[in-house]
Amino acid sequence: MSADPTKFKVARTIRLKSIGLCIARLPQTERLFVGGSDFKVYEINLTAENPEPIEFQGEGHQSYVTGAAMVGQQLVTSGYDGRLIWWDVEQRVPCRNVIAHERWIRKVVASPDGRRIATVADDMLCKVWNADTGDLLLTLVDHKPMTPHHFPSMLYAVAFSTDGLFLATGDRVGHVVIWEVASGKKLSEVEAPVMYTWDPKQRRHSIGGIRSVAFSRDGRRVAAGGIGTIGNIDHLDGPSRVEIFDLQVGQRVQEISDTTYKGLVEQIAFPVSESWGIFGGGDNGGFISFYDTETGKPLHQSKMPMHVHAFVLNDAEDTLYAAGHNQLAVAEFKAEANEEQKLDPAAATTGN
Amino acid sequence: MALFDARLRAPIDPGVSRRGFLGSSVMASTAAFAANMRVLDALQTPTLAAELKRQHKSVILLWLAGGASQLETWDPKPGRLTGGPFRAISTDIPSVQISELLPKMAQRMKTTAIIRSLNTRNGDHGGGTVLMETGRAKEAAVDYPDLGALIARELGRADSQVPDYVSLYSETEGRHKGGPGFLGARYAPMFLTESMIPPNIRRLDSISETDHQDRAAFQKLLARRFIDKHSNPSVASHGMAYERVRGLMSSESLFDINQEPQSARDFYGPTQFQEQCLVARRLVEAGVPFVKVARAWWDSHGQNFETHRELCADLDQGMSALLDDLGQRGLLENTLVLTFGEFGRTPQINASLGRDHFANAWSASLSGCGIKGGAVYGKTDADGQTVVEGEVKAGDLFATIFSAVGIDPTKEYHVGARPIPIVDFGCQPIKDILA
Amino acid sequence: MLRHFYWSLIAMVAIPAMSFGAELLPEEMPIEHVIDRCIQQKLDEKYIPSAPLADDRTLLRRTTLDLAGRIPTLSEAQSYAASTEPDKRSKTVERLMSSPDFAFHFRNCLEGLLSDGQRNSPGEWREYLLKSVRQNRPWDQLFREMMTGNEEDPEIKPALNFLRTRARDLDQLTNDSSSLFFGVNVSCAKCHDHPLVDDWKQDHYYGMTSFFNRIYLTKKNVVAEKFSGDVKFKTTKGEEKVARIMFLTGATVDQPVIEKTAEQIKQENDEINRQTKEDNAGPPPRPEFSPRARLVELALQAENNHFFARNAVNRIWALLMGRGLVHPLDQMHSANPASHPELLEWLSRDLVAHQYDLQRLIRGIVSSQTYARSSVWDSASEPPSADLFALAMIRPLSARQYSLSLRIASLNPETIVATTAAEWPNRRDELERNADDLANQFEVPGENFQIGVDEALLFSNNSRLWDDYVRDDGATLVGCLKQKNDQVLQIETAFWTVFSRSPLPDERSTCEAFLAERSSNPIAGLRQLVWVLLASPELRFNH
Repeated sequence: MSADPTKFKVARTIRLKSIGLCIARLPQTERLFVGGSDFKVYEINLTAENPEPIEFQGEGHQSYVTGAAMVGQQLVTSGYDGRLIWWDVEQRVPCRNVIAHERWIRKVVASPDGRRIATVADDMLCKVWNADTGDLLLTLVDHKPMTPHHFPSMLYAVAFSTDGLFLATGDRVGHVVIWEVASGKKLSEVEAPVMYTWDPKQRRHSIGGIRSVAFSRDGRRVAAGGIGTIGNIDHLDGPSRVEIFDLQVGQRVQEISDTTYKGLVEQIAFPVSESWGIFGGGDNGGFISFYDTETGKPLHQSKMPMHVHAFVLNDAEDTLYAAGHNQLAVAEFKAEANEEQKLDPAAATTGN
Repeated sequence: MALFDARLRAPIDPGVSRRGFLGSSVMASTAAFAANMRVLDALQTPTLAAELKRQHKSVILLWLAGGASQLETWDPKPGRLTGGPFRAISTDIPSVQISELLPKMAQRMKTTAIIRSLNTRNGDHGGGTVLMETGRAKEAAVDYPDLGALIARELGRADSQVPDYVSLYSETEGRHKGGPGFLGARYAPMFLTESMIPPNIRRLDSISETDHQDRAAFQKLLARRFIDKHSNPSVASHGMAYERVRGLMSSESLFDINQEPQSARDFYGPTQFQEQCLVARRLVEAGVPFVKVARAWWDSHGQNFETHRELCADLDQGMSALLDDLGQRGLLENTLVLTFGEFGRTPQINASLGRDHFANAWSASLSGCGIKGGAVYGKTDADGQTVVEGEVKAGDLFATIFSAVGIDPTKEYHVGARPIPIVDFGCQPIKDILA
Repeated sequence: MLRHFYWSLIAMVAIPAMSFGAELLPEEMPIEHVIDRCIQQKLDEKYIPSAPLADDRTLLRRTTLDLAGRIPTLSEAQSYAASTEPDKRSKTVERLMSSPDFAFHFRNCLEGLLSDGQRNSPGEWREYLLKSVRQNRPWDQLFREMMTGNEEDPEIKPALNFLRTRARDLDQLTNDSSSLFFGVNVSCAKCHDHPLVDDWKQDHYYGMTSFFNRIYLTKKNVVAEKFSGDVKFKTTKGEEKVARIMFLTGATVDQPVIEKTAEQIKQENDEINRQTKEDNAGPPPRPEFSPRARLVELALQAENNHFFARNAVNRIWALLMGRGLVHPLDQMHSANPASHPELLEWLSRDLVAHQYDLQRLIRGIVSSQTYARSSVWDSASEPPSADLFALAMIRPLSARQYSLSLRIASLNPETIVATTAAEWPNRRDELERNADDLANQFEVPGENFQIGVDEALLFSNNSRLWDDYVRDDGATLVGCLKQKNDQVLQIETAFWTVFSRSPLPDERSTCEAFLAERSSNPIAGLRQLVWVLLASPELRFNH
């Protein structure tokens, strides 16, 4: 195979004016789309001679842009303003703007065939949309709006299975639901309560929650990411944490708790061709970790130049593009790297 | 509004004043050997609120321990990089916007004034706490009293049968008792931490009610000779402290929210802070001049926005219920409700999506008694980094609080021979937000 | 504002090493006579009578509280009352001062003084102070050990606790040192802005700070000192100044010029950096020049030692008399003169002449007639001003005096009599420790001391007092009373045990009536009686 986690190396970084919170990539290209804390969406074309972020124009988001997904040649973004916006990536202007949720949208994902998109928001609903028309297809209701401690809950994470038949959603208190996309029926649920991080005594609030979910390639397992038990929840000072559940038996089969790199696991990816998972996230700093999903053992871990809020892989799945705190980072993990061809040394430090 | 049980509104002879109650029975002579434990229960009825309205002023401090973000509460900066994701929303005062995290308070700005220009310079939890508790920086030579003790001293009654300074501070981070400093233990807070019922306020089961009363009366009788022989304020304070015991014991029920109808409890909400807001109202209504409800822990170095989504919801509900309830009972015009903590938070958002300690440009709110509702004082720059108009020091805030409840902010105490003004040197009340 | 300036101004006016030499009473006069002469002289000038002497039992109680840190036991009280020896008072003072109780108590006094109201100081620090009192280590030696210490000498090492607990806060370190050892509160001179005398006052504040600013704590909490470092400050005129190392008298210390290469300086700095970061950095290096050592030297020099000596006298006087000759204690300056300057001067001279022997001073004060006056003012006239010392002042017991006295008052007096002299030190220590949890709940007495309602509630409703101190088994006073069939004897014993006196007739009849009402449950009646005595102000205060 072409990828080798042990060869992981940050090849270049590009400065962002704001905090990069989400990222999407136009297939077969190195055109990246990043949304951030300045409410804006940018294109960064890595093949350009000097890849500077280019701002999208027109009526955009009015709050943090927290989700980005490609549907065909169009980009869909979601934001804390409750809106879904479809963008023409050639003109870099919006072509559809939908009020999708009453509260913050935490994430938008597209089905593998690109025909549907799913959103999750702090109204605790998961909504499935027709990617072409923007019509609402389904509203999935199960996550409780309030935590057991009477605070507003939050619904952070959503993912499609590889075949596009299922959805997984994960919330603040560690509740994960598996849905059948066709019917909108809840198929099963599993719990990862440690990730809630509720401090009942010293601080009386929480800062955790399930921040990422992903299906394994065969769809038999689902992984949920967040943070483990924190002593002092003023900081993200707890082990990064991923729990993997076998959906057949409805039980947890892996518990990965890692103190080498602490903080939230913001995104999980399972490449098509590999038997390992990629976890990205961070605390004040950031990390990317590769784990063998069978053994739960780390294959390779690497510090990133910033807290990673989201990442996407290239088509060959040997390069990773991460959006995070004021930076975009490109990291490669090619198995047969040819040192001479690999990168232009001058470009490697861009924006650092 | 059918919030409260009708029975509680049953008319009681309005001629019965609190002073009359206390004068005739609770303060009764030792010979009687009996304090009527039921008298104080009567204090919780709305009629006594009328007495309070005429005479008694109170302060409730909602202490936002750890430092709440001004940007997510009273001084939003929507659309700025420092502003975070939350919107600013309109309020019932057309010119004033606050964070969308306080939607209920946004409809109650008519009773509330905001100061947006605190510059207190001390961004350290310990130092900031002392500064905002006492209104001045810690000084090695003088042990300054905190706000609660000052209010208790100025608004409490020497013979009060209810506590005059209650501090509700559950076992959270930053728990700090504060205290009376040079004013002396008479003004020390009744400090509730482990339990929400004050320590040692309940009679032991192993002693009967009659025995407890008799014993207290006997103690007083034997103590009298010694106290009379030595005309000394410390000795006198011993007698006063023991005389207050029975009255305070009868105030135990004030801390018991089970005595409120379910509708009232629902109105405040189920969280500990919200329940404590209800206790604060019960205490104030019974004549307690100062109640501190500490809500910890706002120290959002990581995940500031998630933290404020939770904590602001808690604050918004508890505070708005408190203001409404005080208003309905006619108590708000004599009760000043404050929110602040040891400092605010940095406009800069860190890599953990947190905000750090920041004392150079932050906010406080004042509602009710003596306050010009809807007023906003001071201004920060577009990003909230600095005060650009009407800088306010901790002492100015204290002078404003004192003025609002009718305490002369130029008053002085003496420690030994040294004069100590009640507020720090050079500090002035903010007239613009006073009614 | 003006008043603040005034305060700032007077706070730093240095007192001259004033000399009453010619007028002072002769050196060889006994301390107690000098005290009584000076106090009487001022009263005579003002035609004010003094209170009569306190009765025997009151004086015994007062002296025992002051020298042993507890009330007298029943047998001590009764044998004192029974004694007809003319010198029983001085014998008692000698007995108490050589008793193990004195060391424990005076240790607690020093601990309280040096920790400035903070509780829970480390065990080794308490041990160190105890040993110092037992050896009657001179006050100047204690001062030297606290300031310069020696981390490698286990005997002296705990003395550094004074610096260690303050090392992270230079202002506190400067102010506490200046206030506790020299009676001068310098904090007012830090940053105010009187146009005329500003500069030199700030010079003094920062001058004192300069003795301490090189002190740091290593990672392992060892007190160490840096090789260099100056205090810089901004005058109110905005001028940047480097402070001279300066004592309160204006005496300065010149830093020796030590030639060092850049490499040496870097090595020193690296080492200090390492000391503050690493757990096993080894003993920290000692600089050639130590400002804090120079402070000790300077402050004890004959021409400068009046601050140190007067402060010690004033604080011991205040401990035993209820207020200082100079009051407040940290306001020793020319605008706040002593009530009896010639007495303060004589006692200071005596202290220096006798190698800072605090126990000599204590013995002198408690032996005086002034100390022995009644605390009751029976005359129809207004009581005279406290600074005339015409009557004894009422003093609240310290938290430990009170908790231990409660313990002793509530124990079966027969079990105390049965304790041998050899057993007593351990027993006393154990009783005191055992009462620590109560002690921690009592306020630390200070200016304008008041009893808070917390204390009254604690007595009224806490299980410790009711279920432990006044339980009715063989170990307690209640248990002892229970064994006596005679009600009069019960009441008599209870009063003597708790108050060291007989009940007055009306007290007796009240108690009898109270017990009579409870004849159906006499033990409950006795428990309540003892509780009432324990909860009385008469036990709460030293009077």
